[in-house]
Amino acid sequence: MNLKIFNSKDFPAYLPKLNALYDDLFSGGKGFRSKLVQMVSDPIALPQETQHLLCQTIEFIHNASLLHDDLIDGSHLRRGKPAAWTKYTPEYAVLAGDYLLARVMVNLSGFGNIKLVQFTSETISDLLEGEWLQDSVVGDFFVGLDQLDRIHNLKTASLFKWCLRAPFIAAENYDENLHRTLDEMGTILGQLFQRSDDLLDYDIRNDEGKAILGDLKSGYLNSFGAFISKDMNRAQIDQMVKSHDLNEFYKSFSSDSELGQKLFKTKVEEFDQINTKMIELYSHHLVELEKQLKKPDLIKALKPLTEILYWRRKPKS
Amino acid sequence: MSRYVTLKKNDPLFNQYLWGICDIANHTALPMSTLNVGSPEETITFEIVENSSIEKPTQSRVLLNLIKIKKLYLVLVPFLYVAIKNYVDDRFFDPLSFALSLIAMLAIFIGFNIRNDVIDHISGYDRVNINHNKPLLKGWVNTHFASRLSNFFIGLALLISLPIVYRQREEGRVIIVVTILLFLGKLLTKNSYKNHRWGEIIFFVLSGPGVVSGYQVALGAGIDTEVLAFGILWAWSIQFLVHLNNFSHLLTSAQAGIKNTMTRYGFDGAKKIIIYWWIIFVFLWALYHYFYSSVFWGWFTTAILIFWSIPTVIKVDQIQSPLGSDTRMIKKIGYRNFLLMTTLVIIEFTWYWLTKNSWTP
Repeated sequence: MNLKIFNSKDFPAYLPKLNALYDDLFSGGKGFRSKLVQMVSDPIALPQETQHLLCQTIEFIHNASLLHDDLIDGSHLRRGKPAAWTKYTPEYAVLAGDYLLARVMVNLSGFGNIKLVQFTSETISDLLEGEWLQDSVVGDFFVGLDQLDRIHNLKTASLFKWCLRAPFIAAENYDENLHRTLDEMGTILGQLFQRSDDLLDYDIRNDEGKAILGDLKSGYLNSFGAFISKDMNRAQIDQMVKSHDLNEFYKSFSSDSELGQKLFKTKVEEFDQINTKMIELYSHHLVELEKQLKKPDLIKALKPLTEILYWRRKPKS
Repeated sequence: MSRYVTLKKNDPLFNQYLWGICDIANHTALPMSTLNVGSPEETITFEIVENSSIEKPTQSRVLLNLIKIKKLYLVLVPFLYVAIKNYVDDRFFDPLSFALSLIAMLAIFIGFNIRNDVIDHISGYDRVNINHNKPLLKGWVNTHFASRLSNFFIGLALLISLPIVYRQREEGRVIIVVTILLFLGKLLTKNSYKNHRWGEIIFFVLSGPGVVSGYQVALGAGIDTEVLAFGILWAWSIQFLVHLNNFSHLLTSAQAGIKNTMTRYGFDGAKKIIIYWWIIFVFLWALYHYFYSSVFWGWFTTAILIFWSIPTVIKVDQIQSPLGSDTRMIKKIGYRNFLLMTTLVIIEFTWYWLTKNSWTP
């Protein structure tokens, strides 16, 4: 199903600037989250209208978070274009984000499922808590991976959990065990997505050409950074923090850059190993889900997600 | 066999897996931790690992870890205090009961420490507030064995207390009060990991006044205000460690709905409580020394504590995040404060012991 998430008719015509901002914002996005909603919704035969509502909801929440995120982080580019706050002023970016979240509540309350409204509100709360906490650890180069996992569970995984659970809530399936399993799966998908995204910062599987060491330079030790720094001494961490490029970064492992690169690669392999274990756990939860739902189509659709999200490759057919 | 097994509470295998008594040849079932903190006691995913793949320290190290050897000084220092105080006061009436009370106290302390780990494991607390060094989570020992070991030590403590009660009848009353408080604590928390508020109060009474009263009565010296004052001082400092520990995982505890003083007052409030708690401790320390110690040691040790406390207070006040490395750092700094205080107690009371009758309060 092809969905047009954003339609200018959804927003007041007397606010042309708002519509222009959304035009810029929504064009170019991959819409992965709404695709995930569809992956779950189709096998459980959720009506198209409801699917559209859910897809719109998740994209509105995600894009609202991007509007606010870019302003907080001071990022000038979003999807290769000027970030909204630079083009339309920070005030408009904040208001546009708030407006999207307000539309989410208007649309969902119109749908009439109070549990869905509650779950969505909790997801937005988690997202904001995660953003807040992430900001509070900027400049902390001794933060642990387990601590970052908690932040990412709120900030990133909350939306994945929503994508997996919301279609069932909309279909009025509130089975606790089912939702617990989906929660665990959503957490894993969110963590894998975040960790893979964090590896891009170190030019690992960076086919998108994301800026190198961007997180580190802005004072944020991401999940991979936390993983490698746990075995480093103070001097090594100092070297890591002041690195301007990867060659300087490798020197935090060894003064010999070549050896440093080799040690760095070993660390990447170790990081991949712990995430492979997480992928195995995801597969286990898929089996549990199959037992609970007996929906092979759904399992088939969800199975390749770890390939896409962590390894960033197309799944083998 | 699959590497993972998910079991619900009503599954017949649930308890077998959780207690580590499941019949899986050469394998161990380890409960996985979860970031979804809603109800970790309802459904658990276990990782089935080969016994040979578990990196296990030597048996003696596992045992020392399980009995929390590093924390034994929490009952040894009050013992030293009571011994020296009564030696100086010439009230060292029953050395045998006193020595037995130390063994009983160590046994009960070890027994309850292990029991605490078992309860945390069964209730799901250790899967929410992840401590990677817990022997039960690591699969170094199974829960069933730990529980039996705990029972052994508690039983040993009760056995040893019999001759003490025979020799010092008053000790029976202390034991009855302690037992009532323990059962009350268990009742009020309903064996849940979610309500620790009552536990804090009961722990306060037991860890300070309870411990010193037990020693004092065993010695046949009778409880006096001085020993109770020290008990309160000691309990206050231990509670400081408890607050620091709870503060270090304030976020996860709050998310899981765990109720303790730190979660009740939130991040900023908790910081203030930790600061004021320590300031009040220094005040209580000075007060205790004003009434019961030499002028020199009163001024000297209080001055050291004040100077040492200033950076601690500043650092606690400066923490910005309920996550991150700051919370770990504060736990370490607070612990150092506690160790300094303990060292001062030991030095001061050793001096009293060596210079008996040559000073006046």
